[in-house]
Amino acid sequence: MAQSITLNVNGKERTVQADEQSMLLYALRDNLGLHGPKFGCGLSECGACTVLMDGKAVHSCVTPLSAVRGRKIVTLEGLGGGSELHPLQQAFIDEQAAQCGYCLNGVIMTAKAFLDTHPHPTRDQIKQALDGTLCRCGTHMRMVRAIERASRHESTQEGQA
Amino acid sequence: MIGRRDFLKSSGGVFIAFSLFEPQRWPANGQKPGASSGAPDASKLDAWLAVHPDNTATLFTGKVDVGTGTKTALAQIAADELDFPIERLVVVMGDTATTIDQGPSYGSLTIRVAGRQIRHAAAAGRAVLLDMGADYFKLPASQLEVRAGSLVVVGDPSRTVTFGALVSGRRLDVSIGATGQTFGMKIAPKAVLKDPSTYTVVGKSIRRTDIPGKVTGEFTFIQDVSVPGMLHGRVVRPYGVGAKLVSVDDSGLKEIPGFVQVVRRGNFLGVVAETEWAAIQAAAKLGSTLQPAGPDKAGAKWSDWNGLPAMNEIWDVVRKTPGQNESVANKGSVDIALGDAAQTVKATYLTPFQMHATLGPSCAIADVNGQRATIWSGTQMPHQTQRDMSTLLGIPMENVEVHWVEAAGAYGRNGLEHAVADAALMSQAVGKPVRVQWMRWDEHGWEPKGPPIAQDLVGALDATGKVIAWRHHMWVPTTGDTRLIASELIGKPIGREGRGSGSVTYAYTFENADVSSHGEGRVGLLTAWLRSPAQFETTFAMESFIDELAAAAKQDPLTFRLSYLEDRRAIGVLQAAAEAYGWKSRPAGSQGPSTGDVAHGRGLAWVNRDDTYVAAIADVTVNRSTGVIRVSRVVVAHDCGLVINPDGMKNQIEGNIIQSMSRTLHEEVTFDQAHVTSRDWRGYPILRFTEIPDAIDIVLVNNRPEYPPNGGGEPSTCQTAAMIGNAVFDATGIRLRQTPFRPERVKAALGA
Ligand code: FES
Ligand code: FES
Repeated sequence: MAQSITLNVNGKERTVQADEQSMLLYALRDNLGLHGPKFGCGLSECGACTVLMDGKAVHSCVTPLSAVRGRKIVTLEGLGGGSELHPLQQAFIDEQAAQCGYCLNGVIMTAKAFLDTHPHPTRDQIKQALDGTLCRCGTHMRMVRAIERASRHESTQEGQA
Repeated sequence: MIGRRDFLKSSGGVFIAFSLFEPQRWPANGQKPGASSGAPDASKLDAWLAVHPDNTATLFTGKVDVGTGTKTALAQIAADELDFPIERLVVVMGDTATTIDQGPSYGSLTIRVAGRQIRHAAAAGRAVLLDMGADYFKLPASQLEVRAGSLVVVGDPSRTVTFGALVSGRRLDVSIGATGQTFGMKIAPKAVLKDPSTYTVVGKSIRRTDIPGKVTGEFTFIQDVSVPGMLHGRVVRPYGVGAKLVSVDDSGLKEIPGFVQVVRRGNFLGVVAETEWAAIQAAAKLGSTLQPAGPDKAGAKWSDWNGLPAMNEIWDVVRKTPGQNESVANKGSVDIALGDAAQTVKATYLTPFQMHATLGPSCAIADVNGQRATIWSGTQMPHQTQRDMSTLLGIPMENVEVHWVEAAGAYGRNGLEHAVADAALMSQAVGKPVRVQWMRWDEHGWEPKGPPIAQDLVGALDATGKVIAWRHHMWVPTTGDTRLIASELIGKPIGREGRGSGSVTYAYTFENADVSSHGEGRVGLLTAWLRSPAQFETTFAMESFIDELAAAAKQDPLTFRLSYLEDRRAIGVLQAAAEAYGWKSRPAGSQGPSTGDVAHGRGLAWVNRDDTYVAAIADVTVNRSTGVIRVSRVVVAHDCGLVINPDGMKNQIEGNIIQSMSRTLHEEVTFDQAHVTSRDWRGYPILRFTEIPDAIDIVLVNNRPEYPPNGGGEPSTCQTAAMIGNAVFDATGIRLRQTPFRPERVKAALGA
């Protein structure tokens, strides 16, 4: 049944009318107009829908709203915290690390959660961290370079979580 | 002047026009002085170009950017020819009401063909502006020069006028001439083009302006479009591919909050609801799930259809399917030469159904309202979609408008066109705008696939190891079946079945050669073009088999190929790749070093796809005990002539290499006799981050103004399977003749 549910998204309290059992992804995209998170599979297999929940990367396509109460959600839109680009976002621009870019949300949000706990990763650790995130265009090489570039940026750890 | 007709109108709340550099630079809705009605006229300058009073300009093209960066590249071409600052140039793509049909955006043809058309239009535009300047200054045009969007009097730089001021809001309603249609269209044939050696924008790695919006989530993909009053639709496809809809038990659907209605027409079935979640729930009740239990186990009951061949028999079916033979090359007599052979080598190569597997399942929005239809789609072919929807809906063409909005990468004809038909039927049934988003299993299960192909090869060597005969025959189901799924389901097929063709560019100089293909219609599943249609597969066979002959002759695979080539550009890319790699001559298959279970090898292959030449060399390791192949380094020499945007081209090449590695190592559509069973990423795995090479080194060959720009969207896919297979042979002495090279298959071949 649809009901009023209050979510904390990108630092703001937002209320949506939705079924508690419905998935966070649809509330973000359709109710709140946050299109950063994407529908890729709905099966927790591709990462396109990744958001941060209390700082951890989760697949919003399989996260019911009932599991989100009292948690802090950050989406791609909230990464930079205002008008600034997050160093990861800037690094993806600098490396021109996109083809179609549909996977970027998953790659960037997964990388964000990873860099928060591994500020100085090796290349292999980056690849490992992203192994559950799919890119069909084959932009992987540039994406790994972009994440390395961001990890060299000292302010990475200050990002909003 | 704002533009021709109402190209900037806000349609249902969504701005359907794209600025290349400044997305917010749009005049408000309704400002359309000089608006004309009806389709644009390709022979008029204003079909291609509008210059605005603030000295910005709009380039109109019927082409779309399928994630390959062609928007930026076309803008570079136009800006250079027009002498206009690229950051002030906006590109409108694929809008049926305001752009010319330049043919679908496929086949690596956008730059090669549409780029030329736009170049001519822009050159004509420059001449028109010079003429206007001559009037303005009352001087002959020869005393004016064009500098960055302004005209300047030669010798008196204080006398200058911007394009915007000169045009002062008028339409560029000037005849520039046009003949032909779509790909064959010639625009402004008399236009005087710039000498390419004077280009200043073409050839630069201009940064893509879509990327900032894509890293922040602000960019609007087709999946993000929403129009007022929009409902959400989901399709419920037949359990078996050819099953008939027997009955629909809709009990329980009305209890779903937000459920609107079931749409049923023939075998077409869909649900419409107010929210995505409700639509998903309703579709699931009717049987749209990852693993449906059976044809009559959900709300929708289908007839029991089992018409697909068994998976392991698919190539026998392909071989037996009637079709037409087509000769690609025929020289001397292979049969006579075979009689003289000292050594004969025979091989069969098999490749499976593969899929585009877009990361973003297909999506479309349709607003069908009586005798008008507005469509939002990420299609590769908006103008064809307009015609098809006119037929499907029974609405005159001029009342159907298609707005193109970028989708996730498609790599060919995937579900995007089909989702349009689904949305159109559902919107027509409910009388409201409907957004249809395919579920992952709809995409994996129903997108048109690349077909399975069987190929037989025979080669003969004389006693000295010289090739005296080469025969290559391929059986190729259609790669161009455009029949829309929904139209087939309602029993009113739209589109053509098409016929396969052995896309292969044979260039070897063997004295006796017979290269031919057997082109067929649909075999089993719906198939259409998938990046380098058929040529990915035929290059696998051709370039693996020449390696087999080189090994039989105990010769170095590079030297062996070069001794049978006269094509200068082929030789050029092979030599460039060899040099960049550091190739040392040794016989094929003489095996690199082994460390424990891990064998090392190198492999080479090349291709000419539509005049773009690619040679690539890979270092590969094979783990003998696990069967896992790892590609550690790839060197690519790429000759597509003049490169418009070098960084964009390298991005494309890297993407082609990684995606084709994925197709080589992992990808195979699985199916039972009812339907596709690889309906998600577990069933159809693709290459992951931990499997990418350490380096992809790219050399751009003949990147010079005197070589016309050819396409780069797909050619560098073709050589990869042969390259990897040849490296595996070099490492282990085993020859892989069937893709994908999954560990079980490799282990079986190794006898491990
Ligand atoms: S959409 Fe959530 S993991 Fe794929
Ligand atoms: S850039 Fe297209 S899926 Fe990653």
